[in-house]
Amino acid sequence: MDLDTLAHGLVAGSLYALVAVSFNILYRPSNVFNFAQGELVMVGAMTFASAMSVAGMPWIVAFAATLALVGMICLVEERIAVAPILKRAQTGTAWVITTLAVSLIISNLVGRIWGPDPILVKPPEPLSMDSLNVAGVRISSYEVALVICTVALVAMVERAYQTLQGKAVMAVAEDREAALMRGIDPGRLGRWSFFIGGAFAGMTGVVAAPILYASTSLGPDLLLKGFAAAAVGSIGNNRGALIAGYIIGLTEAFGAALLSPGYQEAVIFLVVLGVLLLRPEGLFGRPSARTV
Amino acid sequence: MGPRFVARIPTLAQFAFLAAALALPLFVGADSYALFVVTQLGIYILAAIGLNLLSGYAGQVSLGHAAFIAIGAYSVALLTVDRHWPFWAAAVVGMALSAGLGIVAALPSFRLNTWYFAFITLAFALVFEKMIVEWRWLTKGFAGVVGVPAPSLFGHDFGPRALYYLVAASALAGFLLVRNIVRSRFGRAFVAVRDVEPAALAVGASPQRVKLLAFVIAAAFAGAAGAFFAVQKTVVTPDDFTADFSIFFLLTIVLGGLGTLWGPVVGALVFFLIPELLAGLASWRMLIYGCLLLALMLFAPHGLVGAMRQGWRRIARRSPAAPMAAREVSHPPIAGLSLEIAGLRKRFGGVLALDGVDFTAPAGACCAIVGPNGSGKTTLLNLASGYYPADAGTVKIGGAETRGLAAQRIAARGVGRTFQTPRLVNELTAVENVMLGAYRRERSGFIATALRLPSARAEAKRLRAEALAYLAFVGVADRADLEAGEAPHGQQRLIEIARAMMGGARLILLDEPAAGLSMSELERLEQLIVRIRDLGATIVIVEHHLDLVANIAGHVMVLDRGVVLASGAPADVFRNEAVMRAYMGERALKGGAPA
Repeated sequence: MDLDTLAHGLVAGSLYALVAVSFNILYRPSNVFNFAQGELVMVGAMTFASAMSVAGMPWIVAFAATLALVGMICLVEERIAVAPILKRAQTGTAWVITTLAVSLIISNLVGRIWGPDPILVKPPEPLSMDSLNVAGVRISSYEVALVICTVALVAMVERAYQTLQGKAVMAVAEDREAALMRGIDPGRLGRWSFFIGGAFAGMTGVVAAPILYASTSLGPDLLLKGFAAAAVGSIGNNRGALIAGYIIGLTEAFGAALLSPGYQEAVIFLVVLGVLLLRPEGLFGRPSARTV
Repeated sequence: MGPRFVARIPTLAQFAFLAAALALPLFVGADSYALFVVTQLGIYILAAIGLNLLSGYAGQVSLGHAAFIAIGAYSVALLTVDRHWPFWAAAVVGMALSAGLGIVAALPSFRLNTWYFAFITLAFALVFEKMIVEWRWLTKGFAGVVGVPAPSLFGHDFGPRALYYLVAASALAGFLLVRNIVRSRFGRAFVAVRDVEPAALAVGASPQRVKLLAFVIAAAFAGAAGAFFAVQKTVVTPDDFTADFSIFFLLTIVLGGLGTLWGPVVGALVFFLIPELLAGLASWRMLIYGCLLLALMLFAPHGLVGAMRQGWRRIARRSPAAPMAAREVSHPPIAGLSLEIAGLRKRFGGVLALDGVDFTAPAGACCAIVGPNGSGKTTLLNLASGYYPADAGTVKIGGAETRGLAAQRIAARGVGRTFQTPRLVNELTAVENVMLGAYRRERSGFIATALRLPSARAEAKRLRAEALAYLAFVGVADRADLEAGEAPHGQQRLIEIARAMMGGARLILLDEPAAGLSMSELERLEQLIVRIRDLGATIVIVEHHLDLVANIAGHVMVLDRGVVLASGAPADVFRNEAVMRAYMGERALKGGAPA
């Protein structure tokens, strides 16, 4: 087995896991799967790159500004494109079309602001993208940090759901009306979840930028691979998303190495289809009961 | 202009459009750009009609429709150019491949939430786009397939005019097929699966199969459109089938009106005018598409056709149909099915909803289940009708074990049910809702229905008469042709009972049918249940209204926190101390007030 490919898969897998977790944060209270999520990650990467290179902000300031901005965009999306639809009918999937429309709007607007050229983003000191040779594997210090941070972040998000607010989110996901009767305001939780889920997507863009370069064409690819990780790891399950992120990342890396880079997407697609066919609820979920 | 003439305007407009479409080639040159454009328009309409059936009626949003058109186009291009196949055979292969590959990709998603399908089709289109380039040996990569020959029949090649007529005839045929399907039991099932899945299950329609059917039709339509696309453009390249192309189709049907017959036609027509008007704004196109999609979904979910229809209703107020005389309808006897439940257990997380419950309703009996809120009554019905899987125990219906069967299979065995909140398909009329009940009973096959063969037409007519009779039976015949969602709550419950009877239910499970009814409605409900019982059907009723229970039920079971508290004749059970304590608390017991 090629260890470089393994390292490559783990790094890419971390990014997919982060996108999947950002999906889950939105999904838990609203049962909405945001089709604009890939573009939000892209906006995060582009904003951060501009804040660093053009505005010359310090790393931490640019980081905070990016999170706030992308979180706000996602909140605006919820207000305009999701809340009115959910108000009309809790079931139904009109939001598939509206969030897709938001995705189109963001990607085309951003394409007007920034050109198609990717922007190089340097990792924060003292990390760097220079390849180190760790026990025969070529990997940079930034990439090592990314993999570790991803695991830590997922653990943090899971901790957050143990708090009272987190439990309220789970209650809304389970039964919106029952939660309402216990004094939980699903609307408020929905808004917060979109803000936090957006900020998380923005953060994913920030950490992805040094590896993938900040480019306006990041969106669709991350959307689909993030979805693959979320679906394989069971929607709403963050630990599942982490593991599935690595499964997708490794599948992609080895698929590209063994077949040809052109088969990357096809291999992932087949993995997702296979998993959904055998275990519709994903690898780490339990079948949910229908409610009547 | 008399009102009768006004009422006919929509029909006249449809014929005028058809006549204009047929006469058009006579006024433009055979090699003109105009003819090329309208032929293309016809091709897009054909694909959009299929997509509308899938996304508008069945509610499955396909975000990768370009890929299915590409399959049809590449099949025809490669088979006619490389293998010298005739167009017709190649087109059939294209349609079959489009439907077949689509099924393989989408099959897992039909078991899941609808948006999985949207994602899977999006991913499929992306992967397919890459594969077209990757498999250069087959598809010739970016260069594409060049020189696709025109179709020919009996040695005559189709010129541009003949091709136009071929496309126009196909689009018209597609329109009529979809119209027939939408107005049949399949169309009713599509809408039920889209809006109220429990209702589809209750009438025995499998949501997976219904979605699959809609998808196969849509993919075949896309394949046919692709076949025409190849011969019209004579060149097929990967750039023709990008993600933008899929979005274009989605926007077409949203613009025209999701789930309306004319939506895809109107949408495609308008869409073809817009780019001509916005020629200078080409680089803004996708942004405009996005804004349009969002605005339409928010402010006009039924698109232009929906808006036109609404405006039309205001102008030409339909004179209310004469209410049907409430005539007495006699009904053949029903052979009731027994229900035997033993040791039934169900746990939801930490809550034990049912803990070893035994319950028997002999064939033809009327049995009631009562108990405080949260005692497990509805759970029992849901387990018996297959909506939840049971953890342990046995459920026998008519003597045969049914535990573990899917809800639609149990329904097909003659089990009808109503829901605590009525689950009618709001967009269908009352009589259509009742006809939906006969989903499993209709014998006409898909082909006969789509072609509207005389046998299918006769059956549809017979079933409609039967459904009207059931509406009369439950006493809401005057509402037959109004949208079910507009009926008052109490009447919705009655329509739901009619739907269960229409399905030939021999065991009817009623979940709190009296909740929210007025006194007069309550009286009518009681008479109705007695009538159904006297016909011979077995009735199991979950109800809080104890007077009603005492009047109609021969046997009562009291549940409390998942266990059976008492069971027996109503008079005995309601005198039971434990029952009164559970129901009315200690104080009522001391006061000695009977129920």
